[in-house]
Amino acid sequence: MDRYFSYENCPYPIRADIQKEHREYWQRLAQPGSWWSGPERVSIANESRVAVKCTLCKSRKSVLSPESVEGSHDSASQLPEVAVDAIHRIITDQTRISQSWVAKLPKNGLSTEAYVELAGIIVCVFSIDEFHRSLGLELEPLPVPVEGSPSQYRPAQAELGTGFVAMLPKEGLTGPERDLWPNGRSANVIRALSLVPPAVKDWLALSSAQYLSMEGMENLVKQDDRSINRMQMELIAARVSAINECFY
Amino acid sequence: MLRASSLTTETEVDLQGINGKQGAASVGIEYGKNLMLLAEAIASRNNELLVQVRDKLLNEAGAKVLVDAVGVAANFQRMVRIADSMGIPVDDMETDLGIAVRSELNLSRFASAANTLQK
Repeated sequence: MDRYFSYENCPYPIRADIQKEHREYWQRLAQPGSWWSGPERVSIANESRVAVKCTLCKSRKSVLSPESVEGSHDSASQLPEVAVDAIHRIITDQTRISQSWVAKLPKNGLSTEAYVELAGIIVCVFSIDEFHRSLGLELEPLPVPVEGSPSQYRPAQAELGTGFVAMLPKEGLTGPERDLWPNGRSANVIRALSLVPPAVKDWLALSSAQYLSMEGMENLVKQDDRSINRMQMELIAARVSAINECFY
Repeated sequence: MLRASSLTTETEVDLQGINGKQGAASVGIEYGKNLMLLAEAIASRNNELLVQVRDKLLNEAGAKVLVDAVGVAANFQRMVRIADSMGIPVDDMETDLGIAVRSELNLSRFASAANTLQK
């Protein structure tokens, strides 16, 4: 995977930990996941890139009710239509995703577990792509997928009651998940993707380089290896969240 | 977290920078105006503004600051999508600090507030 994310011709000094996490995520992306194969996972990643330019998404974004605009997404994959629609909505119109829409996905052919893994993939790829786009860099070529079957692993302790999907409880994790919460922290944003535990590990790893690790978040002043202090970071974080109309 | 950080460092900040007020973003925060505008350009996918602000921040603060700032913005482009696609509510709506910040910024105007307020 060293051929990816070389940043050789990048005009800016990219920290080594950012390069490392981007490379390692690409490696995991190519592997079979819990509910999607390696080729499907890479297709999902590619579809997230198509979504940002989708004509239907632009039309839907401009009206009060997205369902009022009919049509097909601009798509570059053989993924089921319901998966393509989920990818496009998460990328372009996430604030209007509702519990009722998520609840209908299984009936339309996308299991809740597959939806969570799909979301985990595209948010990680999107944040890496946004890093590149924002620095004026080309998007990284997607990795060559690895053949193999998904594990179909569903954590036994996952339960409904917090968000739109089942999540692991805040306390009392056992078995393979017993150490999933970093430093015992179990904020809802950490639990959000826990129906697919590797998806939690993926975003935490990326976040530790692009933002801060869970341990680093306890430092409200400044982390030594960062060139901006915590107030500067939080101004950026909050402005991005506000533009995205995120209440959380 | 901006308020929490400012309290820790005993720095006066103006939270209206979060809502896009340029003068407010500079209060107590070095390079605040251009950091805020960079975040805005990235999240709104305004490429013209992005190129302008990237150059300004580079000249004003240097390449390391630019890279770290872009990393944080890219990270939160992910976090908001995790929160909204999974419909998670705010963990604790009862803290005085959280109540004050949500009120000051009028965050209940966002559609995704329903994931918390209708729980």
